[in-house]
Amino acid sequence: MTHHEVEKYRTPVRVLHWIHAGSFVILFLTGLVLFIPGLAFLAEDSWTRLIHRIFAAIFVVAPVIYIILNPKSMARGLKLAFSWGKDDMGWLKAAPGYYFQGYEEGMPPQDSMNTGQKMWWLMVIVFGVIFVITGAIMWFAKTAAPPAVLQWMVFIHDISFIATGTMFFLHIYLGVFHPLMTESWNAMASGKISKEYAKAHHARWYAEISKDKE
Amino acid sequence: MTNHWNDIANADVIMAIGSNPAENHPAAFGHITAAKDKGARLISVDPRFTRTSARADIYCPLRSGTDIAFVNGMIKYVMDDINANPRNYNMVYITEYTNAPYLINPGYKGPGELNGLFSGYDPGKKSYDKATWQYQLDDKGIPKKDKTLKDPDCVFQVMKKHYARYTPEAVSRITGCPVDTFLLAIQTFAASGATGKAGTILYAMGTTQHTYGTQNVRSYAILQLLLGNIGIAGGGINAMRGESNVQGSTDHCLLYHILPGYLGVTQNTDTTLAKYLERLTPTTKDPNSANWWQNYPKYIVSLLKAWYGNAATKDNDFAFHFLPKIQAGQNYSHIALFEAMDAGVIKGLMVWGQNPAVGGPDANLERRAMGRLDWMVVADIWHTETANFWHRPGVDPATIKTEVFLLPAVVSYEKEGSVTNSGRWMQWRWKGANPPAQARDDLWMQDQITRRLKALYAAEGGPGAEIIGSLVWNYGDEHPDVHAVAREINGYDLATGKLMGSFANLKADGTTSSGNWLYCASYTEDGNMAARRDTTPDMFNVGLYPRWGWSWPLNRRIIYNRASVDLDGQPWDKEHPVIKWNPAKGESGGWDGDVPDGGWPPINVNPQTTRWPFIMKAEGHARLFGSGLVDGPLTEHYEPWEAPVPNAMSGQQNNPVIKVWRPEEQGTPDKYPIVCSTYRVCEHWQGGQMTRNMPWVIEAQPEPFVEMSEELAAEKGIANGERVIVESARGRIEVVAVVTMRFKPFQMNGRRVHQVGIPWHWGYTGLSTGPSANELTPHVGDANTMIPEYKAFLVDVKKV
Amino acid sequence: MAEKAILFDATKCTACRGCQVACKQWNGNDEYIPTEPNGVKASNRGSYENPPDLSPSTWLKIRFTEVESGGRVRWLFTRQACMHCTDAACVRVCPNGSLYHNGLGFVEYNKDTCTGCGYCVDACPFQVPRSTRSLLTGIAKMDKCTLCTTQGLNRLDDGMEPACVKTCPPGALQFGNRDEMVAAGRERVGTLKTMGWSGANLYGENELNGLHVMYVLDDYPAVYGLPAAPRVEGVTRAWKNVIQPLGWAVGGLTIIGLGMNWLVARTNAKKEAK
Repeated sequence: MTHHEVEKYRTPVRVLHWIHAGSFVILFLTGLVLFIPGLAFLAEDSWTRLIHRIFAAIFVVAPVIYIILNPKSMARGLKLAFSWGKDDMGWLKAAPGYYFQGYEEGMPPQDSMNTGQKMWWLMVIVFGVIFVITGAIMWFAKTAAPPAVLQWMVFIHDISFIATGTMFFLHIYLGVFHPLMTESWNAMASGKISKEYAKAHHARWYAEISKDKE
Repeated sequence: MTNHWNDIANADVIMAIGSNPAENHPAAFGHITAAKDKGARLISVDPRFTRTSARADIYCPLRSGTDIAFVNGMIKYVMDDINANPRNYNMVYITEYTNAPYLINPGYKGPGELNGLFSGYDPGKKSYDKATWQYQLDDKGIPKKDKTLKDPDCVFQVMKKHYARYTPEAVSRITGCPVDTFLLAIQTFAASGATGKAGTILYAMGTTQHTYGTQNVRSYAILQLLLGNIGIAGGGINAMRGESNVQGSTDHCLLYHILPGYLGVTQNTDTTLAKYLERLTPTTKDPNSANWWQNYPKYIVSLLKAWYGNAATKDNDFAFHFLPKIQAGQNYSHIALFEAMDAGVIKGLMVWGQNPAVGGPDANLERRAMGRLDWMVVADIWHTETANFWHRPGVDPATIKTEVFLLPAVVSYEKEGSVTNSGRWMQWRWKGANPPAQARDDLWMQDQITRRLKALYAAEGGPGAEIIGSLVWNYGDEHPDVHAVAREINGYDLATGKLMGSFANLKADGTTSSGNWLYCASYTEDGNMAARRDTTPDMFNVGLYPRWGWSWPLNRRIIYNRASVDLDGQPWDKEHPVIKWNPAKGESGGWDGDVPDGGWPPINVNPQTTRWPFIMKAEGHARLFGSGLVDGPLTEHYEPWEAPVPNAMSGQQNNPVIKVWRPEEQGTPDKYPIVCSTYRVCEHWQGGQMTRNMPWVIEAQPEPFVEMSEELAAEKGIANGERVIVESARGRIEVVAVVTMRFKPFQMNGRRVHQVGIPWHWGYTGLSTGPSANELTPHVGDANTMIPEYKAFLVDVKKV
Repeated sequence: MAEKAILFDATKCTACRGCQVACKQWNGNDEYIPTEPNGVKASNRGSYENPPDLSPSTWLKIRFTEVESGGRVRWLFTRQACMHCTDAACVRVCPNGSLYHNGLGFVEYNKDTCTGCGYCVDACPFQVPRSTRSLLTGIAKMDKCTLCTTQGLNRLDDGMEPACVKTCPPGALQFGNRDEMVAAGRERVGTLKTMGWSGANLYGENELNGLHVMYVLDDYPAVYGLPAAPRVEGVTRAWKNVIQPLGWAVGGLTIIGLGMNWLVARTNAKKEAK
């Protein structure tokens, strides 16, 4: 780390992120084949279902292992997801101007996760749990559960799929493509961002970590 | 069958008693459905609610083995109703076509007077002297009649007295059938007694397989005669045969006591042909009685000519002395044969398409008896329990000396020939495929055995050398020609070498041959009649299809059809005429429709040349009262050999003339209080050789089970689907319990009697194996036929 | 081509199960092939009814029901197999059109393209389609009655009636043009009503816009274990009618929105850089 940089995400966080994101992508694609009739031929021999199951297991196991190894970190993360304040309201108000026009006026200082990131993180937690529950029922209770229940599981699983799928696009877009989010990618790739970027985008967090150092 | 399968559709009411056609004759049930579509009512009488009951309008439960009480009660009802409402019945039929007006020997006494016995019983011999069962004769030797039916000695009055004891309440006490259900059934069935209406009785093994099975059938005959239901379309008493050709094989002397065409088997007292004929040819002094059996000499001589050809001459009594002879009075039926095997009398056995190790009564005994043989040949399409008896479970093969040969046979589709169905229709079948490997058809096997025997006798001589050497056996050098066999059965005019056209032309002088007079006309100069497949309907369109196949006798589709018309020859039932006198036909009139029971004119058309309608009886009238059977001229209720209750009708518990080999194997109700019946299921076939090797069918009905009522299961603490032990005095088996509301305990005389039932198809060989229900059944049989008692015996049921 | 239908008359069925066996035989559906010389997997569970349920290799079975009312026992026999609905839930939920209606009105399926998702299994109001699914891998294919139209085994193309109809001894099964079957069914129901069966009805004439397997019943459908008013559940309809379009709409709008944002934001960013 150069002295221009600060550590945004530690290695375990990044490893978890990429494993989880990777399995999500594969789950997304192997689920998507049922959504696009033209792609359904890929599922004909059910091998997409096998892949879906393998990565569903990874999708579940990875965060569990993380919790076991880094309980404090996860606790912090969860706390963050559920800590909402007036700055978050401010972010919501200022976000359209900011993300389209680049107006920084009125954008309140943000924590290590800005409000948008927090919303995404919250979605990952909530829908992740929904995915796991509905998926597990479809997987393990296919013959035991009443058909109506299974149909509702499909329904909920699919709604979650649409919600998280579209938000996933947004996430990638903001992380990789948005013209202003120049260092988001770095944060998750190398774990480091420049101090300027940190100051500009996560002012509150930067203030905190700077204070700690002093 | 007096009638035939298609004819069931003509019935107005159908009673299935001792039978379960939906289960055991599923294809035939279509004819019942056809009748029901036209408004016919179906009555199902059965100890349990069956698949037939499910389709019936009326279901009557009755305890196994109490059919006679049930039908006797029906007869009583009809006789009372005839008194009260004679116009509801065909009184002309009763007085003119049955022996109701005949006077009986005044010395006759019935079971009501003799505590369950008929007059003439000899307790020492356990048999009846039938002297008092005979008709009173006038000075010409013709039976006396009282057509007013008032004479106390006339059959009608004798019957009235006899059946008066079978009140609905008595019927209910014995059978367990509620009085109102019984009355509903008889009221429904008795409606077919009206002139122009038809009721049919469909029976099967539930009727016959009792120690009084023949009397069960008699009771149906009596009821049907009182209702005028014999000879008419949609009527009759119809035995539904269990196999495609059991009728045909019986016609051709499957049973020990008959030769082909129901000619009596020869016995040691028949030292000459004349003595044989004297014993068996009935006579009559009544000029109007056709007495068809007076032709006995023609049939036996033609048979001897067919068998022994030129070796049968007038001078040598047509080789009558070649025929093997049984000991008079001895029984050689299934049970007797196995008893003889067990006693070491019989040394060799050929089992052809039969599986006695599963199907025989007291199966453990019969399996053991086979072990006393020197050799046994089994011809079948699969390994069977019989073929494998020497290494059956629990037996050390080293202890069995019997040498067993298994001849692989072919299925029906792999050979050509004919089968005769229950309705007496002989139908040709063609070969559809070649048999696998070395499997051979029965005809080939029989041909080989006979030819090799002939060669051996020719070479080595021996006591039977002349007989075997004289046997006509020329069906070809390679595979025997089945058509040559069929032609021989039909018979030839030996002078011209032409095939016979009718048994009416057979002769007793040795100029004709016929291998079976009943089948004479089946294969004529016009060709193979059984192979006809012309579906042109008959003249009156009542389903006779006279150009389809061929029916014995003489292509007659409904026998006794001369009873289907009034005294002028006009049909009782205008909608379903079987035959009809047509005065315009020929020179002096003739019959239209079915082949009549003889072409004589109707009674009113020509009282001189007419003949009474029941031509096979010496007196020409159907026997309501008949001296033909060994156990009584009328039907009387006895309890099965093993019964849960004492006989409520008399002090005579069992049929007094049955032969019991093993009294020590009789179970008593204190140890075995539950009535058990064995039966078949739709999914399996007889001894199971075919179906228990067929996965699809096995899946549908995978193992033997015992059906029982919810009440019995509750008493015994048995849950549905649980394995239970069923035990009789002869064996015990472990099977699955099917607890069902279709079985109900019987309430009789304030007592509750339970009944259970077990399908018997299983054994220890094949893809699906299981215990055989016949390990439980007794080794007793009917007094007349010795058909085993499979349907009513005692067991106990226990949790495993 | 005219719509065809099977008419099953429960009041004529004798439960001989010729249809059940003929179905397996024609379609080569072996289930309980014994694997050892003396072994059969099937067993009696205290009933004549066997196999216990429909399965990928049991497309048709007869259900046995015992009922007792007013002291009268009845033994009811019902056919259990695909009803070939006009408004077919299975067709509605099949993600890729592997289930479809053929020209005769029957629900056919292409087993090659079946993805094994099992949505049809859950959606069918009659619980007909079945798949044997590996719990571990989820690998599965759906099977059900094809009305003997399976390629290579197509009886209808060869002018024959379905195997079950062909074999039915008491004439409880008929096959023909649907309007004729409806007429025959109505007539039979009329007859039953005159015989006193006040609950007699022709099941399937209008249910789900018309079934192609109709039942003549002498009693209410529920007595025979049939849904009184079978319907395609809202959640079933939602799959193709709501969820798929919604997914496309939301997904599409998101991508368009992000694209627009990118164009606008990039323009602004460039401006600022200047």
